[in-house]
Parts: sequence; C-alpha cells; structure tokens
Amino acid sequence: MARLFVFAIGGTGSRVLKSLTMLFASGIKPNSEKEFEIVPIIIDPHKSNEDLKRTERLLGNYQTISNEVGLENGFFNTKITTLNNLVASNRLSGSFTFNLQEVGGKKFKEYIDFNQLDDANKALTDILFSGKSINKRHEEVNLLDVEMDIGFVGNPNIGSVVLNQFKDSHEFKEFASNFNDGDRVFIVSSIFGGTGAAGFPTILKNIRDAMNNRNIDGKGFLQDAKIGAVTALPYFNIEKDNDSPIQKSDFIAKSKAALYYYKDNVTGNNSINSLYYIADDYSGKPYKNDPGDNGQKNDAHFVEMASAIAIIDFLETPDRVLETSGGKALSPIYKEFAIRNDSDMIKFSDLEEYTERKLALRLSQFALFRKYMNEHLLSAIEKEAWSTDKPEINKKFTDDTFYRTNVSEFLSSFGEWLKEMSNNRRAFAPFNLESTVDVVIKDRTGTFGKIFKSKFDFSEFDNQLSKKSKGKTYSSAQQKLIKLFFDTTEEILTSKFGLKN
Amino acid sequence: MKDIFASLYEWFGLMPLYSTDMGDQLRGWDITCTDYIGTPWYTIIGCSMLISTTLFYAIQYHIYDSTKFNKKHHWWIMALLIFCLNFLIAFTVPFNTLNAGDFCSQLNLNISDCIGFGLSNAIWSFIFFIIITTNPLIRRFSTNCRKTTFWKP
Repeated sequence: MARLFVFAIGGTGSRVLKSLTMLFASGIKPNSEKEFEIVPIIIDPHKSNEDLKRTERLLGNYQTISNEVGLENGFFNTKITTLNNLVASNRLSGSFTFNLQEVGGKKFKEYIDFNQLDDANKALTDILFSGKSINKRHEEVNLLDVEMDIGFVGNPNIGSVVLNQFKDSHEFKEFASNFNDGDRVFIVSSIFGGTGAAGFPTILKNIRDAMNNRNIDGKGFLQDAKIGAVTALPYFNIEKDNDSPIQKSDFIAKSKAALYYYKDNVTGNNSINSLYYIADDYSGKPYKNDPGDNGQKNDAHFVEMASAIAIIDFLETPDRVLETSGGKALSPIYKEFAIRNDSDMIKFSDLEEYTERKLALRLSQFALFRKYMNEHLLSAIEKEAWSTDKPEINKKFTDDTFYRTNVSEFLSSFGEWLKEMSNNRRAFAPFNLESTVDVVIKDRTGTFGKIFKSKFDFSEFDNQLSKKSKGKTYSSAQQKLIKLFFDTTEEILTSKFGLKN
Repeated sequence: MKDIFASLYEWFGLMPLYSTDMGDQLRGWDITCTDYIGTPWYTIIGCSMLISTTLFYAIQYHIYDSTKFNKKHHWWIMALLIFCLNFLIAFTVPFNTLNAGDFCSQLNLNISDCIGFGLSNAIWSFIFFIIITTNPLIRRFSTNCRKTTFWKP
C-alpha cells in the first residue's frame, strides 16, 4: 500500500488533520487508482496547544478502532498510522507529533547560541531579529528573547530557523528511509501565522534538497516525491487586543510577504506538484486572541474541512499528472476552493456538486451513527434482534474499553467538531444535531412506509438494523458495530432521506 | 385426527377438565344417541385452535414484525389474546349447544363442562404458541421478532 505522509504544521495543521480524520472516519475515501496509508506528522513547538492535543487523541482513537475492526467496514476504512509503526527501531516516540528538540523552555537567543557568536554575527542577528513580541507572561520582549514553547507567536523568521532542524532529526531520517516510489507527501499549513508560514517552505526545501543531505537514505525517491500542499490564507477573525502580537490587520501583510517568498521559493521554482490555496474573507465571529499561552483552542472551521478535502483531491490526482524530475514538478497544479452559494450557514446544498457528493452521504451516515449511539443504543441493546444476533452487542460490550473509550470518545469529538463548525461564522451547519432523527439533515425529512408515510424514528432504525444483520456473519462484536451501522445508515439515508450514493 | 385432539383435550385421560359426557358430545355423539356421527367438535375446535394460534403468531412475528412489538411483554399480550380467544371459542360452542338442548338427552352436560373445555382449548393454544415461538428454526424468518420468546428480550 502506498503512503501519504501528511505534515501538519502549527495550529491550522492540527485542525485540518482533525477534519481529515473525521472525514476518513465517516468513510469518505479518495477515488484514487491505489490505496493509501496515511502517516500524519504534526509539527508544532507548542506542545500544550489544545488543538494539537485534541487531534492527537482523536488520531489515537481512530487508530485503535481501525486496528481492532479492520479496514473493510465502511467507517474508519483508511489506514492511519504513526511514523514509528513503519520503522524497526524504537528511536521515535510512537506519537503523531514530530519532536522539536531543545525548544521547550528556551529563548530563541539561547537556541541559536547568540552569546557564542562573534560581534559581527551578533550585529547581523540583531538586525534580522530586531522586532518585538511577547512572552508567556504577556510582557513585551525582543524577538531574540521569545520563549518558543508557545510557538513562534506569528514570527516566521524565528520559525524558519528552528524548523530547519527538521532535516537532521530522527523523524526526517526515518521518513526518508521509509519513503518509497509511489508514496506522496502533503503539507498543511497556514500562511498568516508563525509556525505554518515558516514550516511549509522549510519542509518542502528539505525534501527537494534530499540529494544534498548525507544523513539520509532513499534520497532519489524523496527528491522526486509527489508533493501537494494546502496553504490556508486568512480565514478567521480574531478579537482586537492591543497587547497581543497577533493582530488581524497583520494577517494580510504577512500573507503577502509569505506569498512573495513562495513566488520564488515554492511556486516559482516548481517545487510543488499541487498547491491548494484556501481563504475566506468573510468577517465572522472573532476567535479569542490567544498567542498560545492559554492553550490555543480554536473552534473547528469549515475552511479546515475544505482543506482536508484538498488532501483527498490530491490523492485522487493520478500519478501521471504529478510527474517530477530533478526535484521539479513538470506540470504543477494550483487550485482554489469554492462553494455554490455564498451562504453564512453552509448546508450540503450550498456546496458544489463534487463536494456535496463527496461529503453529504458519508458525513450524514456518521452523524446518524453518532445520534443512535448517544440517544438510543442503551435502550436497544439486549432487546432488538440485531443486538442479540451473534456476536452480541450487549451491556458488557458497552462497558468494554473499545466502546466506552475509543468509540464514545471519537463520536463525542465528532459531535463537538460539528457543533463548533455550526457555531462558527461562516458556519458549516448541515445537521440539526439536537432534533428528532427524522429531520437530522437540514432541508430533508426521513419517512418510511409504502402507502402510509410515517416519520423516520429509532424504531424504524432498529428495524433496518435487524434486517441488515439477518443472516450476516461478523468476526467480532466490534466489527459488527462498525460494519452494521455503516451498511444500515447508508441504506436508510438513500432510501428514506433521498440522499444519493 | 379426532382421536388425537380428544387425547390432548382430555389430557390423555389423566386430568380431564370436563365430564366424559362432554367428551362424547365433542367426539360427535349424535342427538339420537346412536353413534358418533354428529359434528366432530374436537377436530373443528382443535383445528381452529391451531389456525388461530398460527395466525396470531404470523401477525406478531411476520406481518406486523415491528420493533414496537417484539419484547417479552408483547409476547405475553399475544399469548393472553390467544388464550382468551380460544377459551371463548371452546366455551361458546358447547355452551350454545347446551342452551339450545341440541344434544343427546342421555348426556349430562352443564356449564362447568363448557368452562373446562374452554380452559383445555386455551391451555393447548398457549402451549402451542410456546412451542412455535420457542423453536428458533421457525421464528428465524422474522426480522424484528426472531429473538422474541416468553422469557426474552
């Protein structure tokens, strides 16, 4: 199986990765020539970033569920693994996070050994890093005195220096030696902050310059790797805070500066095979202005989900379109994303046809699965035929770690993710999450019955589950839960709600 | 057929719930008191018991076959309906005959015989309902009631 190494950089990287995990969990699959195994590598110096922690936890649960039930069950049908799982040595942490060395608790000047520099270099460094920023205690400090464990606080010039250690890391060496012909790389970053803006060109350059790196194997494959990237331009609003180094007014200036740099070093030199630009100038609900010292937990946003779709689109792009020679893309592709209606509360019908077709059924299936698990499972188990068919889904099963921790936590995160997107502005709100099950999808009503139409309810859901499970064999109760609910929700949504498959 | 039902209703001679005169009447002892050439009530009521119980089973397990009616208490409701219906059938037939005096005058029949036969028929319908719903091979064709018995779910 070919692999897609996804480098998720900074807070936006983590949130896009979270969206991608949700899409894969829903059973959305790239319509590609070959199967891909996804290897996420999160790059963020800000270890206490809540977005990063949430994404790591989610990936962990995804991995446990798919390892337990296999990949042939509809939901969770794309393999996601850690880089550590691919290597024989135990040098890596086993998590999805790239371990940035010597960043925690260190000032930037200590990281670059400023005091060891001669006078001329000190003067040059002073000029290059002459600005001001804030520290964890919200005190104004010189750039050289920035403590980097809350990220690069919107300073890509610092980020580019620190992230350059990437090429000498164990992770990069393992990544390079496990990179095969046919594997691909995708880089997720934002352009208007610090970590992502610096990380994207740095990682891209290190991959394309692999031939000059004496520490790694597999250079040839890596240099001509098929690389895609999504770069998020400003897409959210933040609260005005004069004491914060993060200002909305800087977003455009920073984006322009970064794009100007990319013009020569990313797009201008054909380093990238497929680059997705995404942005939203809708001035919506502002996020709390948190440079990183309060954990940085931003609500999920539609743009992040659209960025995740870029990754799926990249996987659907045939190999012949992504030819690379001597580290240069032969026919680079640049894409943007659009929706059909400029709505501030996006429903499925507001999406373009491809996106709607890709998302509507599968996301609705997973939303329906979540609704059933949250609102009806406990009253159905040990009572309905589908539950008592072998292997039984009984109370013991719901007390087991697989359901109680992995599945429940994942579904709870999925619900949180949908709620956050629907509360955000612009909102992605295709579901009535709190309503009755017949109107769970906006603008649609589920009905059943040939002559007398009745509203779709949990009883009919149970009826469909029992019909589907009749005569079927499942390898375990865990596999039955995932496979049965995928098959049944697909049937329900196509026959009772009129969704297209 | 008549003898089979007679054995069943008379509990194989062990504990009949009604008199032997009622047994003769149900076997078809004719009004002229000559032979068993009258209406064979054992066969008729026995068949109606089997048919009505099967029909109720089919309604619950295959026709309605709903998640709204597949729990053990629903089974007991159906069992009660079957019991009552079969009691009424088996009680009404001899009771009407008794009231009409439409039977051999040598037979000594009374209302307790009618109740006894009604009870026998009701009990056998109940037993038959248990048998067909306990056997998984029969109910496996149901979607929502294939696990429904008198003790679960």
